[in-house]
Amino acid sequence: MDSKIRIEEQDSFLSKPGDDLIICRCEEITKGEIRRAVHDGMRTMNEVKRYLRAGMGLCQGQTCSKLVRDIIAAELQIRREEVAITLPRSPVRPVPMGAYANDGTVRK
Amino acid sequence: MKRYEVIVIGAGPAGLSAAIEAASHGMKVVVYDENDRPGGQLFKQIHKFFGSREHKAMQRGFRIGEDLLAEADRLGVSVELNSTVMGFFGNKEVTVLQGDRIEHVRGNYIIIATGASENALAFPGWTLPGVVGAGAAQTLMNIHGVRPGKKILMVGSGNVGVVVGYQLIQAGCELVGVVDAAPRISGYGVHAAKIARTGVPFYLSHTIKEALGKDKVEAVVIAAVDERWQVIEGSKKTIEADTVCLAVGLSPMAQLAKMAGCEMQDIPARGGLIPIHKEDRETSVPGIFVAGDVAGIEEASSAMIQGRIAGATIARDQGYLPEDLYQDRFQYYKNSLSQIHQGMFGPDRKGKLDIMETDEGCPLCESLLTQGYLADVGLQFYPGIPGEERRRKGIVAVVECTQNIPCDPCQDACPKGCIIVDGSIAHIPTFTEKEPCTGCGLCVSACPGQAIFLVDETFAPGEATVTIPYEMEPTPEPGYRGLALDRSGSVLGEAEILSVRKSKAMDKTVLLTMKVPLEWSMKARYFRV
Repeated sequence: MDSKIRIEEQDSFLSKPGDDLIICRCEEITKGEIRRAVHDGMRTMNEVKRYLRAGMGLCQGQTCSKLVRDIIAAELQIRREEVAITLPRSPVRPVPMGAYANDGTVRK
Repeated sequence: MKRYEVIVIGAGPAGLSAAIEAASHGMKVVVYDENDRPGGQLFKQIHKFFGSREHKAMQRGFRIGEDLLAEADRLGVSVELNSTVMGFFGNKEVTVLQGDRIEHVRGNYIIIATGASENALAFPGWTLPGVVGAGAAQTLMNIHGVRPGKKILMVGSGNVGVVVGYQLIQAGCELVGVVDAAPRISGYGVHAAKIARTGVPFYLSHTIKEALGKDKVEAVVIAAVDERWQVIEGSKKTIEADTVCLAVGLSPMAQLAKMAGCEMQDIPARGGLIPIHKEDRETSVPGIFVAGDVAGIEEASSAMIQGRIAGATIARDQGYLPEDLYQDRFQYYKNSLSQIHQGMFGPDRKGKLDIMETDEGCPLCESLLTQGYLADVGLQFYPGIPGEERRRKGIVAVVECTQNIPCDPCQDACPKGCIIVDGSIAHIPTFTEKEPCTGCGLCVSACPGQAIFLVDETFAPGEATVTIPYEMEPTPEPGYRGLALDRSGSVLGEAEILSVRKSKAMDKTVLLTMKVPLEWSMKARYFRV
């Protein structure tokens, strides 16, 4: 079951009911945008994240990750577990710029 | 860079237990927690815990939290709050955000006990104000004293859904229903029963289609689904509500473990991506341990034991705990964990829809599984429910516990030894009078599931009394006339309160005794003020 071939065999991206549903609340990204991204060739969580910013907002994907992964999986007609996920990088929580500026300086 | 023997990430039940265990053997431990108060999810758990005495059964969650903090403090564990571990690097170095500074610290051992986060469910209208996670609603209510809303629909019938659902009622909210797409209630039957007897409907095999409203939730649309989760035509139902609580599962917050290079495995039954670990809680990276929900969604009792195992293993590895003593401890904890894994809701049986009987061979009550209440017929199958012959002799305890869950405080509570949970703590309690039941009611208040009642069919000709556990405000006074409800929450009729018993031993569970017509003795199970 080659997901790449399946996508290419389909017609150009077709809107479906429910495409206007917001999935990533922090960045206001809709289901339709995610589906279109998959059709544009984004097949992993990393790619969709970098393409759309889904998962890059304040909650860092804590709310939307599973939802995004399900949409990618449904679009590729594979199981959720088969969709490669993002590698978490520091910082896992938002950090004030001032904290980074202070990093490495001596505490007064 | 600061260096510690043991760094624990997360001051919840798992993290604190791990810290306490390691510190009890002489190790120097620091615990970091991103919140401004420790205890993880414990402090909002206002209900009595299940399990056995060793699992802190009958204690309310927040009390367990207080005890853990006191013990950690006594052992010299350093708990640093408002301290967010934001990065995990090679050589077991972590970066901790504290205010406007980043601390770089290294540990000989690191225990990741970061817990889990709530899952979201996307449906039209889910971004309207009023759609909240059940856990968030619980924090709002129980920590901050704020009602999440007035009319609440609970989505999800797992333990989080039914426990929080009951607490919403306690807080004075109206729970308009509990919805679940599955055909069976996935939380404990006793939790569902507490809700059903107040009149809350369960909508199994239903899903939420939409939340309606302009600037906030004003109504919800639910619909029935078939076995393939497809909406059944014409089954839509609109219910007035201002809040939707989502109790649709938890996902481990295992990002730090992945960042640390731990080997991960995606196991849907455990909540998603979890760090692979041995029985002694060590991950694939030597020196990095995991405990609690981060390693697989269970609950607080498991989290505490897992934390203990991690702490003990580290103490042994570093030479603080001799091998033979470690083995004793490990076996004790392992046995403790296996006890709470037993029963119908254990990690290996959860979600199995084909379970039709209890371990003892009693039939599982269908209406309890699909509507949240025990049917009037078929009560004779359960060994905790005395039959007509015994009931005609005098006051008696009626133990309406009909599913295998790991729990046995009823056994310890009865001073006459009338209630037996034989063999495994997951066995259904049996009512066997070693000495005659005196109607003291200690079992009624002890049962964390509020599933035990006192029934006296000999009160007066044609009249009986029913004593129920009551945890609502306001508490009625003797003489008050209210309504007696049956297990399904249907009104039976008027009933008078004869007595209201409170005592320190009962820990805020009030015993309400109501006078009812004899025919209601095995029906009346709730009192509406």
